[in-house]
Amino acid sequence: MTALTVPMKQSIKNRFIPPASAWLTLTVFVLFALAVPRFATFGNIENVLRIASILCIVACGQAIVLILGGIEFSFGSSVALASIMTVLTLPDLGIAGGFAAGAAVVLLVGALNGALIARFDLPPFLVTLGMLMAVAGLAATLAGGLPIDAPLTDAFTWPARGRIGGVPVPIIAAVLSLIALYGLLTHTHIGRLWYLVGANSEAARLSGIRVRLTIFAGYIVASGFCAVASVILTSRVGSGQPGLAPNLPFETIAACAIGGIPLSGGQGRASQVVCGVLIIAMMNNAVVLLNLPVAYQQLMMAAVILGTVVLQRASGPIQMAWHLLARRGGTQ
Amino acid sequence: MRVHAPIPRFGGRFLVAPLCLGIGVLAFAITAPEFLNTGNLQSIVAQMWILGLLAVGQMFAIASRGFDISVGATVALSSTIAALGANFFGLPGLFLGPLAGLGVGTLNGVLIGFVGVQPIVATLGMLVGVRGLSLLLTDDGQVVPLNDTATAARLAFDPVLGLPPAYWGAVAFVGLAAWILNRLAVGRRILMLGSNPDAIHLVGISFARTQIRAYQLCGFYAGLAGVLLTIRAGTGLPTEGTGMELQSIAAAVIGGTALSGGVARVSSVVLGAAFVQVLLTGLNLQGVSPFVAQIAVGLVIIGSGLLEYAIRHLAQVNSRSRT
Repeated sequence: MTALTVPMKQSIKNRFIPPASAWLTLTVFVLFALAVPRFATFGNIENVLRIASILCIVACGQAIVLILGGIEFSFGSSVALASIMTVLTLPDLGIAGGFAAGAAVVLLVGALNGALIARFDLPPFLVTLGMLMAVAGLAATLAGGLPIDAPLTDAFTWPARGRIGGVPVPIIAAVLSLIALYGLLTHTHIGRLWYLVGANSEAARLSGIRVRLTIFAGYIVASGFCAVASVILTSRVGSGQPGLAPNLPFETIAACAIGGIPLSGGQGRASQVVCGVLIIAMMNNAVVLLNLPVAYQQLMMAAVILGTVVLQRASGPIQMAWHLLARRGGTQ
Repeated sequence: MRVHAPIPRFGGRFLVAPLCLGIGVLAFAITAPEFLNTGNLQSIVAQMWILGLLAVGQMFAIASRGFDISVGATVALSSTIAALGANFFGLPGLFLGPLAGLGVGTLNGVLIGFVGVQPIVATLGMLVGVRGLSLLLTDDGQVVPLNDTATAARLAFDPVLGLPPAYWGAVAFVGLAAWILNRLAVGRRILMLGSNPDAIHLVGISFARTQIRAYQLCGFYAGLAGVLLTIRAGTGLPTEGTGMELQSIAAAVIGGTALSGGVARVSSVVLGAAFVQVLLTGLNLQGVSPFVAQIAVGLVIIGSGLLEYAIRHLAQVNSRSRT
C-alpha cells in the first residue's frame, strides 16, 4: 500500500480554476480596503496577519479533525490550561521547559479526546465539548480563577513578539504550519488515510485500514498544531489565563467552514484554511478599526458564517444550472 | 395518519436517569445534611425546570439525529424579548419569548433541513448571531427589569397546590412534549427520521419538513425556558445561558435519548435534567468552587457518551445471545 491515492471530488478541475473561497477572500479584502479607513495600510496588513497567525495554526489542526469527519472544541480551554501550566512550571523548568509542559498538556488533552472518540465510537462533538468544559474548570481551579503573571523576559516573549529577518515569529509559524498541513494531507500515507476514513470509515475498515488508530493519530496531530499556538498565545499574554481564547474552537470551525471544508468529512485542503482564516481575521480587524459594538461584531460574524455556508450549498445547483444552460447554448 | 415508531430494543437506557438521580441525591444527602432542606429542594426543583424545558427541546433535535448548540443563546434572546414584551404589552407579552425561540428554531431548521447545512455549523452561526441580536436589543447587554415585578414574583414564588404557577406551566409544557412525541404524527415522524432517514423518504414524508419541525420544537422549548428564567429573575437577562447548551445535551443524553437518533422518552429526559441540576446545586452546597462543578459537568457529558456506548454494547451482546 505504498501509492494509496484517494480520489478527491473535483480535484482536477480545482487545479486550474481558483476555488470560490479565494475569490471570496479577495472580494472581502477589496470591500474592506474601500470601506474601512486605514485598512489597506502596510502596518495594518501586518496586524491582520498577526491576528490570523494563531487562528491559522489552530485551524490547521481543526482542518485535520474535520477531514476525519470529527470536530474539536476542546482547543478553547486546552490553550488556557497550557498557559497556566507554563507559568506554574516556569520557576522549576525554565522557559523552554515551561513551554514544553504547556504544549504537553495540549497534546495530552488531544490524545484523551482521540482515545475516547476512536476507541468508544463516541460522537466527537460530545466528547470535545465535555472536555472543553472539564479542562476549562481544571484551568480555573489551578489558577484560582485569576490570571497568574509570568516574569516577562525577552526569551519568554520571543515566540509572540520576536522577529526572524524582520518577519514576526507567529507569521513564520503559521506559514510553516500551513506547509506542514499541506505536506501531511497530500504527501503522506496517514494524510490520505484521513481523507479515506473521513469519507467512508466503513469502507476504510473493510479495506484493512486501522481506522481507530488513524482517528487517534489525527486528533494527536491536530492537538500538536494547537500546542504550537498555545506557546505563542501564552507568550503574547505573558501570563497564565484561565479565560484565554474561549472563542478559538468556534473561530477555527467557522474559518474552515467559510473556507469551504464541508463538515461531513473526507474533503478539505490547506488553501481553504488560509482563505477562511484570512476572512475571519480581516473581519475582526475591520470591526476594531470601525469601532463597532460587540453586537454588530457578532451579527456580522454570524452573517458571514451562515451566508458562506448557504452559498456553498447553493453553488452546486447554480453550477449545474449554468452548465446545462451553457450546453444547451452550445448545441444550438 | 398513524405512524408506527420503532420499538426501542433496549429499554434499560431509560433507567439510567432515575438511577443517577437516586445515587446523586443519596450521596449529597449523606455528605451535606443541608442538601435535604425544603428550601434547597425547592430551589433545585425550580432551577431544574429551566434546564428541563431546554433538555426536552434538545431531545427533539437529538432524536432527529441532530443537535442544537444555539439553545443557550436562544434562552438569552427569548428572556430579553419576553421582558421587553411584558413591559410593553403587559403580562401576555411574555409569550413573545417562545415565539422568538420558535423563530430561531425555524431558521435553524430551514438551514439544516432545507439548505442542508450541517447542524453544527448552522446552530453555531445562529449561536453567534442570536447572542449579537440580544446584545443589540439591550444596549450591549443591559438587563431588562420587568415593570411588574410583583406579579412575576407571585408567578415564580407563591405556591398554588404546592408549586408556583410558572412551574405548573413548565410541567404542562413538558407533558405537552410527551404528547407530541408519543401521540402526534409530528413526534412519530421525528423519531422515524432519527431511526431511519431512508425509510422516511420511502414512506413519502418530507425529510426537510420533519427536520424543521424538530428544530422548531427545540427553539420553542428554549424560548419557554427563557420566559421561565425571566419570571424567576424578574428581569430579562440578555447575557445568560452560556453553558446551558452543554447541560441540556448532557441531560437529554443521560435521559436516554440516543445520539444516533430515533429513541427518546420525555420523562427520562426530565429526570436527566434533575440529575444535572442536583449535581450543580449539590456541589455548590459542598462549598466546592464553581470551577470544580464545571469539571464535574464536563465529565458527566463525556460519561453520558460512554454510557451510551455501554448500552449499545450490552444491547448487541444481548441480541447476539438471543439468536
